[in-house]
Amino acid sequence: MFLEINQIRKSYGSGESRVEVLKGIDLYVEQGEFCVLLGPSGSGKSTLLNIIGGIDQADSGDICIRGERMADMKEKKLTLYRRKHLGYIFQMYNLIPNLTVRENVEVGAYLSEKPLDVDELLHTLGLYDHRNKLPNQLSGGQQQRTAIGRAIVKNPDILLCDEPTGALDYNTSKEILKLIEKVNQKYGNTVIMVTHNDAIKDMADRVVRLRDGMIRKNYLNEQKLSADALDW
Amino acid sequence: MKNPLNRRLTRELKGELSKYLVILILLIATIGFVSGFLVADGSMLTAYNESFEKYNIEDGHFSVVKQMNKAQKKNIESLGITLYDLFYVEEPLTTNESTLRIFANRKEINKVCLMEGSMPEKTDEIAIDRMYADNNRLKVGDVIASTDHSWRVTGLVALSDYSALFSDNNDSMFDAIKFGVAIVAEKGFAQLDQSKMTWQYAWKYNQSPKNDIEEKEMSDDLMSDINSTIVLDSYTPRYLNQAINFTGEDMGSDRGMMIVLLYMVIVIMAFVFSVTISNTISKEANVIGTLRASGYTRSELVRHYMMVPIFVTLIGAGIGNILGYTVLKDVCAGMYYGSYSLPTYVTLWNSEAFVLTTVVPVIMMAVITFAVLSYKLTLSPLKFLRRDLSRRKQKHALPLSVHIPFFNRFRIRVILQNLSNYLVLFVGILFANMLLLFGLGLPVVLDHYKATIADNMLANYQYLLQMPVGTVDEDHKLESMLNMMMFSRSVETDNSDAEKFSAYSLKMQQNATKTEEVLLYGIEPDSQYIHLDLQPKDVYISSAYADKYLLQPGDTITLKETYEDKSYNLTVTGIYEYEGALDVFMSREALNDMFDLGSDYFCGYFSNSEITDIDSKYIGSVIDIDDMTRISRQLEQSMGSMMYMVDGFAMLIFIVLMYLLSKIIIEKNAQSISMSKILGYTNSEISRLYIVSTLVMVVVCILISMPIVYEGLVYIFRWMLINSMSGWIPIYLGKSIYVKMFIMGVVSYGVVALLEYRRIQKIPMDTALKNVE
Repeated sequence: MFLEINQIRKSYGSGESRVEVLKGIDLYVEQGEFCVLLGPSGSGKSTLLNIIGGIDQADSGDICIRGERMADMKEKKLTLYRRKHLGYIFQMYNLIPNLTVRENVEVGAYLSEKPLDVDELLHTLGLYDHRNKLPNQLSGGQQQRTAIGRAIVKNPDILLCDEPTGALDYNTSKEILKLIEKVNQKYGNTVIMVTHNDAIKDMADRVVRLRDGMIRKNYLNEQKLSADALDW
Repeated sequence: MKNPLNRRLTRELKGELSKYLVILILLIATIGFVSGFLVADGSMLTAYNESFEKYNIEDGHFSVVKQMNKAQKKNIESLGITLYDLFYVEEPLTTNESTLRIFANRKEINKVCLMEGSMPEKTDEIAIDRMYADNNRLKVGDVIASTDHSWRVTGLVALSDYSALFSDNNDSMFDAIKFGVAIVAEKGFAQLDQSKMTWQYAWKYNQSPKNDIEEKEMSDDLMSDINSTIVLDSYTPRYLNQAINFTGEDMGSDRGMMIVLLYMVIVIMAFVFSVTISNTISKEANVIGTLRASGYTRSELVRHYMMVPIFVTLIGAGIGNILGYTVLKDVCAGMYYGSYSLPTYVTLWNSEAFVLTTVVPVIMMAVITFAVLSYKLTLSPLKFLRRDLSRRKQKHALPLSVHIPFFNRFRIRVILQNLSNYLVLFVGILFANMLLLFGLGLPVVLDHYKATIADNMLANYQYLLQMPVGTVDEDHKLESMLNMMMFSRSVETDNSDAEKFSAYSLKMQQNATKTEEVLLYGIEPDSQYIHLDLQPKDVYISSAYADKYLLQPGDTITLKETYEDKSYNLTVTGIYEYEGALDVFMSREALNDMFDLGSDYFCGYFSNSEITDIDSKYIGSVIDIDDMTRISRQLEQSMGSMMYMVDGFAMLIFIVLMYLLSKIIIEKNAQSISMSKILGYTNSEISRLYIVSTLVMVVVCILISMPIVYEGLVYIFRWMLINSMSGWIPIYLGKSIYVKMFIMGVVSYGVVALLEYRRIQKIPMDTALKNVE
């Protein structure tokens, strides 16, 4: 199994204000799988994604990626883990404001020993003509494409996407989803995407539905649609 | 209802404790020191000014070769003055190789301020100047001795006519190590060698002059009137007496420098606050947008964001003033007591100091922050809500070649992003380096002067002959001629090294009241000491003279007679390399002719070996290395310890500024740093990006600042020497000082970089998750 998540528990606060966000999550994801985590606000989907991404820690439970246990990793090793295996895309693009589009993508490329060709990727992302612009000169969609470029340029094993279309309009959202689909197909990265947009589940290989910190549904999507065919 | 935003004040202070603490430390240090200085300066200056009346300071003094008889005194007193005996004997001490000028206890004029112990009563008792005692580590109860006498020190005193211990009014600088003044009881004074007596008389005008101009006129008239009664050996009106006036003038100029120092620090701090505020506004753009959209006026927000800087400045001023009036006042007073022989003082409330150190800094801070905030908050609420604070429509990125390594491009972007911060940093470094160069430079300048002056002396020995009184007397020409012949015969030497020179002293008028002595040498043809081929009309000036007054060949200098209203215009032919004094070199023939001294006239010898065959009574003085280094010795003594404080203060400014601005840069990029961490960048990689960028700028700022601060220092140093003292010290700093400055600057940043590394380590990854762009 590529990614194994066993009995992950996470809570915030203490005493009476203690809130249990994840209540024992078990999840298994295959390599190259497109997995969508669905659920309402507060269901714990972003927390789970952050724990998978090594930027938050579970109270208990275990996550293994290619047999490597994350619980055994100290901060430095976790950094290397993210560097080696993960690409991150957020709802808010988190681009470095004083770097150009190309340089923002290079921020990701620097972390890999064998990064993808930056210019080729910029062409793929439709950003080549904007490569010398700063993030504040771009539209939301272009900024998100840059963030995707930064995440995938190092060809990560897992692409973690936290509401990547949350701040975008319908057309731009579809454009981004198509791009993520294309990346998934072209480079074979495992994609774990958090969204509250129910329609996106139709393009996933696996759909995981969370509520109140627990997995309510976890199934393989047998009638997978292309991103282009989605509608909401 | 109170503005609820005000509740943020304490939270903001708590949240940014380290930032406000370092700002506070710098403000307290600056305001405290300046306040302490102004209080000490003001109180001591008041004591100094009051001493004129309290201790009945003379209006001037003159000396004659023989004690005046009653008729002569009466004759002179009829000119509208009252005369007082102020005789003294100079005793070279065997205990510490210094010279003590001993007076009988003064009861009417130039009265004594007893600072410790008691006044001498017995013949073997003496009260010595307090500063001279300090410098020579003498205390009450010690015994000092000359070849003929020994005295027990009963007290430490301050003589108000010697607040600066000038042994000769023409000296470039006083020397409180090798020269001191002392008081003995009248019985003790009578036992001193009368042949060594200097017959000096102090005078007070019966009708005090109304102003400086009238004082000068009265003194000039008096001099010529006395000169017609008795031949003067020396004549020093009070307004020209460096021993009395130097202290007051120096205290005045120090005060100006301290105030400039304070305001520079306040302006730098105000700009640091401005940068901080700009950063806060960027961080809180959406909050500001929301508040503005909700109806908060711009002035309400301006007032809100101004509160912290003003509050911090007020606290800094408050604590600074408390420290100033208590601890630091004594430190500053100690510095003055280390330089001058001042009487005791009483600490006075100084309302001007309060205004300068509290009201003015707060107003300056308020004005600068108000201007920055008003400008920043002119954007529309929508722009704030969109976090779009750029004023230009599109901000284009500077194209950078992809061939530049990625990390270097990243650093260039960080530098470009923070240019305004680095500009403030540059101004701060400029200021700190100016202080540092001054602190490090003064000892170097003095050391270099001491080291080179020995090699640069005109001759190992320079004998100035002392002509007996009456040698030249317009009214008794025949007698004068005979005297001259006698004198000329007695001062001949067989020493083959000896070379005659003539000399004449004139004064250079710097401004209405300040003059400086210039010695004109008449040199033998083919002199072995002055290597000039002097033609009759040639006038060479020493390089010290040229350096000080920026003179060049072709310039005309105007020199005046010391005691007459006669002036001479001389055109400079060339510059002679000599740093020791402000001198003019002419041929002996030309000089003697110019002043009608007679073709054979000479008044001294240059010699590389000691002249032993001239009676000591004909030798007025011998200029040796000790005389030449007096100026550097005294500057070292009075300012040496202060230089360490200046260095320390400069380092404090360095560290505080670098810390604040680096902190702002890291905070501004917190989200990017957080995101980089999420992506897998290590702390050391992130530090290499952000800390190295600032290091590069620190290095660049230090390097650019060096030639600027050098020019600034030369200007200040020149100003200081021209305004505060006679003579000249060449400004030589050497190369090692720049290396030191560079290392100190980089090491200061090294300390800051360690703190910044810890700050980068502490930035959590959820910063990127929580914040929105």
